[in-house]
Amino acid sequence: MNTPLVAMENVTVRFRGAQTVHAVNGVTLTLEPGKVLGILGESGSGKSVTLKTLLRLLPESRTDIGGSVMVDGRDVLALGPQELADYRGRVTSMIFQDPMLALDPVYTVGEQIAEAITRHEKISRREAMQRALELLQLVRIPSPERRLKAYPHEMSGGMRQRAMIALALAARPKLLLADEPTTALDATVQIQILLLLRQLQRDMGMGMLFVTHDIGVAVEVSDRLAVMYAGQIVETGTVRELISDPQHPYTKGLLAANLHGARKGERLEAIPGAPPALNEAPSSCSFAPRCRQAVEACQDGLPPVVTLGEGRIVRCVRTEAALQPA
Amino acid sequence: MSLALYVEDGSDRGGAGTPLLEARALTKHFPLGRGAVVRAVDGVDFQVRKGETLGVVGESGCGKSTTARVVMQLIPQDAGQMLFDGEAVGSAALSLKDYRRQAQMVFQDSYASLNPRLTIEDSIAFGPTVHGVPKSGAIARARDLLARVGLDPERFAARYPHELSGGQRQRVNIARALALGPRLVILDEAVSALDKSVEAQVLNLLMDLREEFGLTYIFISHDLNVVRFISDRVMVMYLGEVVEIGPVDELYEDPRHPYTSALLSAMPSMDPDNRTMEAPLAGDPPNPINPPEGCRFHPRCPQAQTVCAKVKPALTPTGPGARLAACHMEIPGSGHSCAPILEDAA
Amino acid sequence: MSAVTAASAPATTSPPTPARSPGYWSGVWRRFKTDKVAVCAGLVVLAIILMAIFADYIAPADPTRSSMLRRLRPIGTPGYPLGADELGRDMLSRLIHGARLSLFMGVVPVFIAFVFGSVIGVAAGFFGGKFNTITMRTVDVFYAFPSVLLAIALSGALGAGIFNSLLSLTIVFIPPIARIAESVTTQVRSMDYVEAARASGANALTIIRVHVLGNVLGPIFVYATSLISVSMILASGLSFLGLGTKPPTPEWGLMLNTLRTAIYVQPWVAALPGVAIFITSISFNLLSDGLRSAMDVKG
Repeated sequence: MNTPLVAMENVTVRFRGAQTVHAVNGVTLTLEPGKVLGILGESGSGKSVTLKTLLRLLPESRTDIGGSVMVDGRDVLALGPQELADYRGRVTSMIFQDPMLALDPVYTVGEQIAEAITRHEKISRREAMQRALELLQLVRIPSPERRLKAYPHEMSGGMRQRAMIALALAARPKLLLADEPTTALDATVQIQILLLLRQLQRDMGMGMLFVTHDIGVAVEVSDRLAVMYAGQIVETGTVRELISDPQHPYTKGLLAANLHGARKGERLEAIPGAPPALNEAPSSCSFAPRCRQAVEACQDGLPPVVTLGEGRIVRCVRTEAALQPA
Repeated sequence: MSLALYVEDGSDRGGAGTPLLEARALTKHFPLGRGAVVRAVDGVDFQVRKGETLGVVGESGCGKSTTARVVMQLIPQDAGQMLFDGEAVGSAALSLKDYRRQAQMVFQDSYASLNPRLTIEDSIAFGPTVHGVPKSGAIARARDLLARVGLDPERFAARYPHELSGGQRQRVNIARALALGPRLVILDEAVSALDKSVEAQVLNLLMDLREEFGLTYIFISHDLNVVRFISDRVMVMYLGEVVEIGPVDELYEDPRHPYTSALLSAMPSMDPDNRTMEAPLAGDPPNPINPPEGCRFHPRCPQAQTVCAKVKPALTPTGPGARLAACHMEIPGSGHSCAPILEDAA
Repeated sequence: MSAVTAASAPATTSPPTPARSPGYWSGVWRRFKTDKVAVCAGLVVLAIILMAIFADYIAPADPTRSSMLRRLRPIGTPGYPLGADELGRDMLSRLIHGARLSLFMGVVPVFIAFVFGSVIGVAAGFFGGKFNTITMRTVDVFYAFPSVLLAIALSGALGAGIFNSLLSLTIVFIPPIARIAESVTTQVRSMDYVEAARASGANALTIIRVHVLGNVLGPIFVYATSLISVSMILASGLSFLGLGTKPPTPEWGLMLNTLRTAIYVQPWVAALPGVAIFITSISFNLLSDGLRSAMDVKG
């Protein structure tokens, strides 16, 4: 296996402020080139913060980042201003839930994409506009010639999402970060965008980190899944492994809450309680207070990282105990 | 504590056979000026039977939230009528104020639907005091209801909304809706903003309350999994009209309207070996300003024929069970090549 | 605004009464306390108010006793710590006594306008529709005039005197307050909790009393406090033009007017009333800024 596209090693992110927030607490993950890793978690799980760390999008003045972040052989946390500008867009690019965050309302879509291309390549404006048109065709925007000259507000929600994807792909990045890009969309539009992303990723050989709270969406696009809770990855594995044989109690609870296969009228196996506040770094299993299978050992310290196979890990005391011979 | 006491004696005026709510040709248009009109709800007919949960699904612009607001009479309808347990809403037999004691609503945004300056017990007690319950009695009722929705009144009664989590606030909103002892509760995307693990808790609560108080729900959601789980019957809306309505399992397993089929096949598959390969529809849902003639779905429908662009299909009984679909393929003799043949020879 | 806090129900408090969580206003106070600038401004305002109330006890001399021998003494003259004015009256005593009228002219018109403006604005915002259009367009007619011109025109038409300048200032401030009240109320009216209250069958007055007022009066009040300094300056201006207070009553605007001829002789003494107006109005403004950010809650 060649060098991974993304290698995060024990990454921690802490926001200073009136109250310190320990948003990410020791995330280790790798992504092979051309693969898709879905990061699954609820609000406050640190999944979006993890993604933003990869692009250094967090406000530097009040954020402490620990650990190491390597993307395509670069030490992301050590990049200087010029290297960072070069890195953003050309190596790693990002799409968001709200396309209006990425699109500038005062320029046409074509101008914005052309500008993103010329930022990284020395080509003429005409050539750049031609490339922009090709990108709009690539993301299958209907009547792309006309849309090239359209402003973002003149487009429908699904079309804006496509335009944002075209913009993100302008400099042919090796890694695409997707932060809930389909959450705000209607069901019939969501599936179109998911299929488009899946196809683009495959055709362009990009690696993709896809953050979502929706298991169904994650299953549609991902090769592998990482489940996050309270700023830590609690379980990873292939999609098939996680769906058919979840090990961590939180993953099991999430699957049950997705109602897939739930029988009508029967009470759901709901996870009680609510996620913890992250005012201090966890010293024991963060999920234990909500866990039906919690034992005393869960309070003793951070749960062990149990490796069940190649790229298949679970952070749970119970899993470790089950592996040990009696 | 005897909570059942708070449910109005449930005077079942019409008897079990009368639907609890019947909407007849409900219509709501919003003029935009310069002749443009948003046909948000356009001649919607449906019934909600006593004790059942009617799920309402559809995409943005389909009119499901406007329907909820009209049913709640937060906005008046332009045309059409609503019967509650056989009585016309707003008539001498059932005044608006009486109706509002029997029908309540829970909104999507748990924060915006609580007054930030009131403690949660005051928010819950507000409705009963409006209907003449003395303040101390209303507060006592509020605390009982808090306990019933799973919030310890000792800890929560005197708190303010911003001190609660989203799931807790939505429990408060449910308690508030129940404070008047309603028979019908409209849940407008009531669990959509919650995290999945919290959503499951609230769904469990809604099912328990339905059983305990004998409630009837109108459950509006864009999440087809949730609707399938909680509903008895489902109504599918598209551009201000009902396209299909029927028992949940039949409708999910054998959709009769092409739009229903499209919605269902747009759901993520949850099976890594069997991923969705093709999007059922192209483009975005059109907006309800000046909708197309004939069947409103015909410009996006893979099976559209000439009749679909000209004639508006009526909701027609189809298939087994009490199912209705508004599609020319289900209307005998409609002129669509897939339509059933007219049996007028018999 | 605290009318909406719960009366604790005796029937239900047999178990230990739950600890009432800190309310909205205690939160506002907690945030306000951490704002050093606003706290200082508040202390200055408090000092000025106390000075005005106890002017008779604080002032070293009679503010109206003149002395032709001691005209226009500089700051620091023995017996005249802040000098003497063009009629030989003690400036310090006149400034202390002047605070009374200046504060009065700053606060009272704004307060009356706050009451009337809120009623107009909340009603227009809550009921909307044609009523809103008619009311707010009428308000806009007044709002279209620059406030200084409107105040001068009204005072000129009504004639000089304290009461008339009070009246004209009140009229000047009703439109801006009504506009703020209308826009805040329109926002609150569209909130789901107001819809929920309507769905529970409450009538308009009950909804306004319980759900609207508590959420709109705060922002309107903050806006109104920012008008106090404007009112003081306008009142001073009216006096300066001879449309307000009559001499020899001490009032900062009038003092500024009568001392302007002495600007080349004793510039520092002549500037003192202006300094007083400046300090007071900026303190009110900073206080109102502090209140605004302290009242801005989200979680």
